[in-house]
Amino acid sequence: MTRLLRIALAGLALALAAPAAHAQTGRDVPPPAQTQNPNGANPTAGAVTEDQLFRELNKLQGRISIPDGKAAVLEQPQGREWRAFRESWLPWIAGVAILGMAALLAIFYFTRGRIRLEHGEQSGEKILRFNSFERFTHWMVAFCFIVLAISGLNYILGKRLLMPLIGPDAFAAWSQWAKYAHNFLAWPFTLGILFMALVWLRDNIPNRIDVQWIRQGGGFLGDGHPHAERFNAGQKIVFWTVILGGFAMFGTGLLLLFPFSAADINGMQLSQVTHATIGVLLTAAILAHIYIGTLGMEGAYDAMGSGQVDLAWARTHHDLWVEKEQAKTASGPQLRPRATPAE
Amino acid sequence: MRVMLISAVAAILVATGAAFFLGQEQRFAYQAFATTGARVTPSSNLVGPRWTGDPDVPSKSGQITPPPG
Repeated sequence: MTRLLRIALAGLALALAAPAAHAQTGRDVPPPAQTQNPNGANPTAGAVTEDQLFRELNKLQGRISIPDGKAAVLEQPQGREWRAFRESWLPWIAGVAILGMAALLAIFYFTRGRIRLEHGEQSGEKILRFNSFERFTHWMVAFCFIVLAISGLNYILGKRLLMPLIGPDAFAAWSQWAKYAHNFLAWPFTLGILFMALVWLRDNIPNRIDVQWIRQGGGFLGDGHPHAERFNAGQKIVFWTVILGGFAMFGTGLLLLFPFSAADINGMQLSQVTHATIGVLLTAAILAHIYIGTLGMEGAYDAMGSGQVDLAWARTHHDLWVEKEQAKTASGPQLRPRATPAE
Repeated sequence: MRVMLISAVAAILVATGAAFFLGQEQRFAYQAFATTGARVTPSSNLVGPRWTGDPDVPSKSGQITPPPG
């Protein structure tokens, strides 16, 4: 009787210890000696282990009868790598890219200062730089991009930076609306990118003039301004960054918007990594674009604000373009002083 | 300034259209990810519309709610 009681107690102790060991190690505990066959052989010794399956298949999956096909995958180690990127690396990449760019621009502003109009850049005569459709396209993309960037950064940094400030309830409500804005404004953003590509692609093909412009540092190095057509090399870099980045964001965003419609779990994770990384880099690049278009350079905003710029400014910064435009009209500048471009 | 305002309004209009069309494609999670056997729909399985266990008993409004597709 005492022996039976001892065996029962030992069995109970093992039953209690095994789950605890599993919780600590995450692995199955080897079967105790008492469960082996009476002849001494372990009947599961030759069975396939979890580690062997991972090595052979790279994931554990089976067959299911419900419509959710991805539920067939029981374990997928790549998911841990994605989670590590999403929770550890990505917030740092976003923070360094955006705060780093803001710091660079601040340093540039306080050391170089605002690029002022030179005396010779003000003639009083105006030339139409961007027509109303071009400005419409630019501002539609700009409006959408600002909302997309803020709501996108909320996915990455919101729970870390915003939620402690406004509390979980307000953060949940804000995030819900931010998500709607992100999903729906992505469409006019893409439409605007498409329009941009159509109206500006021809003027943004790189050529030898751009090489010379870069060699002269866009006018910052050496004397005088380098020649430039309608867009200089710096503007072409911004254009291609926005076009390629914008279409990449649309492609990966489409995969995220329709989950598992064209990608499996690995594809979804890859899409999220690509979408988020390009998104934060694009946001940092556009910060520089906003700076140079507003605070950084006097007169630059007019080109996209009213559409017209001073003829002397245009001759200084885009001399080859002005020559072409004047050759087209053969009557000097398109706009006289105080004239308003056609809307 | 006028072009800026028009572009913002156009963006909101396109976004509203996108919201409408995307909403048409939306399905509830229980429709997308489970078969009828696993759905907790009181009208067609489990407890019935009056929580009596009989799905054929009409609800108070007198109608048997059809099971979701």
